[in-house]
Amino acid sequence: MIVDLGGGMTPIDPRLQEALDGERDPGELPTDQREAYARLMNAAQLLAAPPAHPVSVADRVMAEIRTMPPPVELDSWWRRATRWLTRPFAVTLRLRPAWTLGLAAASLAAILLLPGQRDSEITPGAAEGIAQFVGQFPSARSVEVVGSFNDWSRGSLHLRDENHDGIWHGTAVLPAGQHEYMFVVDGERWIADPLAGRYVDDGFGAGRQNSVLIVRSANMVDASR
Amino acid sequence: MKLERSLLLACVALSSPLSAQDGKSRLEGRVPEAARPAIDSLIAVAAAESLPTEPLVQKALEGSAKGVPADRLVNGVRRGLLQLREARTIVVRAVPSQPAPEGHVAAVSAALARGLSPAVVERLLTVAPDEPPVPALHAAADLVAHGFDPDSASDVLIEAHNKGLRGDRLLDVAQAADHELQRSGGGTHADALARVRAMLPNLPAASSATPVTRRAPKGS
Amino acid sequence: MVNDSTPDGAVVAQVLGGDGEAFGILIRRYEPGLLRFATRMLGNPDAAADAVAESFVRAYRHLAQCRDPARLRSWLYRITGNRCRTHLARRHTNDIPLSEAPPLADPADAWAVIERGEQLALVERALAALSAEKREAFVLKQVEGMSYEEMAQVTGARIPTLKMRVHRAREALLAALKELV
Repeated sequence: MIVDLGGGMTPIDPRLQEALDGERDPGELPTDQREAYARLMNAAQLLAAPPAHPVSVADRVMAEIRTMPPPVELDSWWRRATRWLTRPFAVTLRLRPAWTLGLAAASLAAILLLPGQRDSEITPGAAEGIAQFVGQFPSARSVEVVGSFNDWSRGSLHLRDENHDGIWHGTAVLPAGQHEYMFVVDGERWIADPLAGRYVDDGFGAGRQNSVLIVRSANMVDASR
Repeated sequence: MKLERSLLLACVALSSPLSAQDGKSRLEGRVPEAARPAIDSLIAVAAAESLPTEPLVQKALEGSAKGVPADRLVNGVRRGLLQLREARTIVVRAVPSQPAPEGHVAAVSAALARGLSPAVVERLLTVAPDEPPVPALHAAADLVAHGFDPDSASDVLIEAHNKGLRGDRLLDVAQAADHELQRSGGGTHADALARVRAMLPNLPAASSATPVTRRAPKGS
Repeated sequence: MVNDSTPDGAVVAQVLGGDGEAFGILIRRYEPGLLRFATRMLGNPDAAADAVAESFVRAYRHLAQCRDPARLRSWLYRITGNRCRTHLARRHTNDIPLSEAPPLADPADAWAVIERGEQLALVERALAALSAEKREAFVLKQVEGMSYEEMAQVTGARIPTLKMRVHRAREALLAALKELV
């Protein structure tokens, strides 16, 4: 059945709407409206019945979240992370058009491993911005960022946990615009950035989401999350 | 830091635009052989239809890196092609000057993937057909993702544009709305948007704001 | 110790305190309604199950961001509504039909059950012909029994807008359901 939604419908009497909204006793309605009331309530009752073959998602959800850490309140780490995010420091990595990364990945990884590199004075170009990545992975041995800006290649953007407090962070100069990415923890666990604020289904049918990063151009201090 | 600078310069020197053929060659050795013919074919179709191929190359690389099985990998790339086609249909309708500016189709495709309706995308494109659409589309997607009514979200972004906000500053509209929503506690989304409207065009810029203002769970 | 009768706020606190298993209480509590809501939104029980599962995982991941655990129900419906919209947007590009007729009851069942199945099929097709916004408003109001205030929290839309959507949905459904007694 096709319903004409283009304006060919007859408006319902306001009294019937009020009855359906629970603001009027349906017994007060004229006979024809009582029939319409009954028809709509019957439809709602049919829709309210449980599906014929309900499939519980409880087991699969619990199985998935058992692989995740408890979502504990993290005021202290959050404050530390915020301080880190808002503290001015220089750039550590420049990721230009993605396909160059394959050739430069090894060198850039070496850069990120150098101590004291926050003292560098590199600034983004007019069509670039600085992205800051941070996440708490207390038991991780390694955390890296893999995304559209590095052709989803491993090994080019490693985060660091200098204080050994489980907070991993890193920065990169990226072309302005939109990027999708994920964290890869210990080389095998793909995790969306809990701080990204923007997510998009990755389109591979498993319901997994990429984080989305919008990098603002020229002299903005942070990626727009 | 000399070493770092020199390596960065090397990086910059390497960053020259490459062709679509180079895009396909980037799949060499990274995409499973079982999926290569189908993916190459999909990329060729996109190129023949003058659609951007980079999003499809990226999708293939992404799926391969994640270890997605070949059939789902191909489906993911195919889905990307379908989305690019739909995006171009919208762009053709909304942007009078054809061919549309570079990047429009990919940006619209990304906005659709984030869940924006074609109607909202087209409306926003129509307002500023010659401007880079990424900020406005993502600002709208941000607002919708935070529960704002899509039409109201479009309204406030168009109003912001009409009052002179351009480019990345449109992202500040979404950020301000989210901030107002959090600040108000039990206030409605409509109230939050009303307060943002009242502030236009003088919204706080992200450059002077704390990057992230909410709590978040740890990632591991 | 939390159990199935513990208020939402206390269960949320337990989960945030590190007891991930307590999240199962929230799943049991809200799964039936969310599955029904998603099924009516998407017209497909498998897609609905995916959307609800994704929503629960997302809710768990972001539980610390739930500003008011007393309004957990609205928050979960909001997340599920967003997931449904994402599914619908993706489906739009994949040329998957929005509405598939639900399976009728087993032919061995009583006539009354079959008739009910046919009635449901009719209602579901009429519902699927509505816009997603009107469908959502109708289901939240008439099927989930929410107040307009709670609907506003779930959808982010203003109450007058929601009332208008519900009214328009009723008009369209009434026109489509003349055969339904």
